[in-house]
Amino acid sequence: MKRRFNFRQALAGLILTTLPLFSQAQTEPIGYVKTVTGEAWVSNGAERVRAQRGTPVLLGSQLRTQAGASLGVSFKDNTMMSFGPNTELTVDEYLYEPADEQLKLSTRLLRGTLNYIAGVIAKLKPDAVSVRTPMGVIGVRGTQFLVKVEDEQ
Amino acid sequence: MNFSNKTVLLAATLTLLAVLAGCAAKKGTGSYVVLLRDPDGNAGKVIVQSQQGEQTLTEVFKGTALDGKREPFFVMQDQLQRDFGAALAAMPPPPEIPFPLEFATRSVSAMDDRSTAELQRIVNNARQLNTMDISVIGHTDTTGTPAGNRDIALKRAQFVASRLRDLGLLPPIRITPISHGQYTQKVKTGDQVDERANRRVEVILH
Repeated sequence: MKRRFNFRQALAGLILTTLPLFSQAQTEPIGYVKTVTGEAWVSNGAERVRAQRGTPVLLGSQLRTQAGASLGVSFKDNTMMSFGPNTELTVDEYLYEPADEQLKLSTRLLRGTLNYIAGVIAKLKPDAVSVRTPMGVIGVRGTQFLVKVEDEQ
Repeated sequence: MNFSNKTVLLAATLTLLAVLAGCAAKKGTGSYVVLLRDPDGNAGKVIVQSQQGEQTLTEVFKGTALDGKREPFFVMQDQLQRDFGAALAAMPPPPEIPFPLEFATRSVSAMDDRSTAELQRIVNNARQLNTMDISVIGHTDTTGTPAGNRDIALKRAQFVASRLRDLGLLPPIRITPISHGQYTQKVKTGDQVDERANRRVEVILH
């Protein structure tokens, strides 16, 4: 009886300690919110959190600012992006494994304004960085630039 | 019969033209990209591609429409401010990257006295900034092979990561050792060059 109890405890302990390892692998942050004014959101699938300093950005995250709001995010490779009001951007690809030359950062700007300062990924691999927009694709060779996508409606 | 057919056709054509013109005005004029000099003073290159054309920006303050159809144009300061003032004001401050920690040739653990003191300063900074996520990036010079250097750089990063934990940066603070191998040189050299400044670990407080 006592033995069975211990086994259960051990099993529970094992599950509790390994579960976070699995979830951590899938939700490893690739960047963080650094500045916010007004109402801005970070969505990951169905989960949506109000952006504040320190909110993690994940692969696939959708960043959105409301009217009158702005948002600044820094990524692990020192890429920095900041957004004006009524902006929507998703991070589609983020690969940062320089030793294996695995480098990629692709985002999609659906509407609004973006200030982009290229980081290590763009410096190490010029073709690795792109911003897709509803009209055309922007390719980047290590620099700062600004993009505006006007609403289609 | 004939007359009314023509009228319908005319009306349809006019409507179509109006819609097309409206679309063109909405899509073409407002959406554009502008090249700037980055905070380090470098201006790179921006290339815009669409099915309708391709444009390249290499000059600072030049912009081009996102459909890639028109030649680049200069963008005035007041327009930049009007369109991008809010986005520019939200730019995060550049991350503080402390003094790089240097290593002896091929060594994965020995650091000099200056680096050891710097490590303590990094820990103090992280505490002050309430940093929750730290990247520790290991680098090598170009002696040896790229594959070997990938391992040495990773071991250097892991060594510094464990020192940071020893000095009290414990979970939930996340410390990620990353290897850049020999690919991110501080001092540009050719292959097989023993260069102290390139044998280093950089710590980034996110």
